[in-house]
Amino acid sequence: MNSRLSMETGQKSERSLCKGCDDQYDVQISEAKLARLVELASRSRPVVADAEYERRLSSCYSCPALQYGSTCRYCGCLVQVRAKLLDSTCPFPYNSRWI
Amino acid sequence: MVNVTLKADSNQGLINRNIYGHFSEHLGRCIYEGIWVGEDSPIPNTEGIRNDVLTALQKLNIPVLRWPGGCFADEYHWKDGVGPLSERARMINTNWGGVEENNHFGTHEFLRLCELLGTEPYISGNVGSGTVQEMQQWVEYMTFDGESPMANWRKSNGREKPWKLTYFGVGNENWGCGGNMRAEYYADEYRRYATYVRNYSDNQIYKIACGPNEDNYHWTEVLMREAHQHMSGLSLHYYTLPTGVWQDKGEATGFNESDWFQTLKRTLHMEELIVKHSEIMDKYDPECKVGLIIDEWGTWYNVEPGTNPGFLYQQNTMRDALVAGINLNLFNKYNKRVQMANLAQIVNVLQALVLTEGEKMILTPTYHVFDMYQVHMDAERLELDYESPGYTFGEDTIPQLSLSASRDQEGVIHVTACNLSHTDELEVVCQLQATDSSVASGRILHHGEIGAFNTFEQPENVTPSEWKGVTLENGQLRFVLPPASVGVIAIKA
Repeated sequence: MNSRLSMETGQKSERSLCKGCDDQYDVQISEAKLARLVELASRSRPVVADAEYERRLSSCYSCPALQYGSTCRYCGCLVQVRAKLLDSTCPFPYNSRWI
Repeated sequence: MVNVTLKADSNQGLINRNIYGHFSEHLGRCIYEGIWVGEDSPIPNTEGIRNDVLTALQKLNIPVLRWPGGCFADEYHWKDGVGPLSERARMINTNWGGVEENNHFGTHEFLRLCELLGTEPYISGNVGSGTVQEMQQWVEYMTFDGESPMANWRKSNGREKPWKLTYFGVGNENWGCGGNMRAEYYADEYRRYATYVRNYSDNQIYKIACGPNEDNYHWTEVLMREAHQHMSGLSLHYYTLPTGVWQDKGEATGFNESDWFQTLKRTLHMEELIVKHSEIMDKYDPECKVGLIIDEWGTWYNVEPGTNPGFLYQQNTMRDALVAGINLNLFNKYNKRVQMANLAQIVNVLQALVLTEGEKMILTPTYHVFDMYQVHMDAERLELDYESPGYTFGEDTIPQLSLSASRDQEGVIHVTACNLSHTDELEVVCQLQATDSSVASGRILHHGEIGAFNTFEQPENVTPSEWKGVTLENGQLRFVLPPASVGVIAIKA
């Protein structure tokens, strides 16, 4: 699995400059980017009211499964996005922390 | 309609079961949460390995599993991953965006997984940032049945007897994340490292050299010219992207008909890569002693919206089922040179077999294709003569039909078939030569929507079903492939 493709010269063509040599694979997500992703997700799907969003996020922020301040280890989701969407559920095994 | 001739007496050699292999990298939730949850998890597990995933994978009879990378292998130091869990080093996986790695899944855990799956381990060693000594000691640790510092350390860590280890990769993507080497430099490094990958006791290692990325024919030329006497296999990596552009690969779901067509067209490029790399290998190794090992292949899309981009989590649709079916048919077709292939990746990453979320698990369309195709493992490939109708979209045309046939050890003939067209069914009339088989039955993977997929709410939206209408009379096999479908037929006496 190649995250940073060869810069090899010689036979390689220009098109193979990079699979991922920018920041697209960083697991640390900036607040600005998170806000943009939440806004994008909110455009096309029903969302919860602000109070419910804050309640869900509060559970996530105190959850041992939170990684990198943004990511749920059980589903790989950005919790700020998942918590915003009405149909979302908490994936904590056998025991939703949002209930 | 298309006419096909299946020559039942045409022995084209064994289809190596390792063509149906898989790849598990420390990346996203492939290992952690996907496979390894730890013994303290509420998710039912066997020695830390989750039972639902284990059971699902056991049904596929997976022949070989590659680990720990990928690029992760290029910075993996195996000594961090043995001994008591609480004492294992914590690190940052810099290749994948800074993911934390606690090394709880290490050598013992991986080899235990392989035992539980009944699969052969394929370990990728670290040439990029590792040392010759480190690689030599890892092989000694795993396979030496005697008195030595590494064997004694293994015993003190709870494993008295050595493991059997056949497949060992001497480096990974050394043209890229594995050191950004030139082919000429890596060829020499390969020769040096491979020298110390020893056959301890009665263990025999099948050494796999880092091969080319996609169409880097220069790499293959140099490696074969300079080092083919020192290798058993040479790897090839090729990923299928709908767009062909790494910065915006296209979406896993919600795609249109053009995306469907372009993805299948790009996956068919695998055939050109196999043929051209094989031609170079033939120059130096006309007897096909060196296997072409396609140890990373599959679809690569933009990550699922709202998921961490460093986790490479994507959904898996009927389009992925076709990509799997087409490639597996190609690997079968070139069975003389292709000796192993490992889909990327087994759980939760890229073209996965299964997806997990908390305690839930679903099987993907790709899983079902591997389940249907496992009949070809170690079977004799049979020759098929046919001219596929063209599948045209816009100004492009690709073949509509992809086929494989083989005879297993019980004498059953199996045919696997893919209809690439998203709109048109395809009637196939197949003349069976040199066989008196008279009974045929099949299973088909098909859905009315080309973008259909399974979810945790609807886990069986895409599943195989009995393939009605498969007939065999007077040596003539007839079947109709629905649009965008993958099928398997068993033909018995």
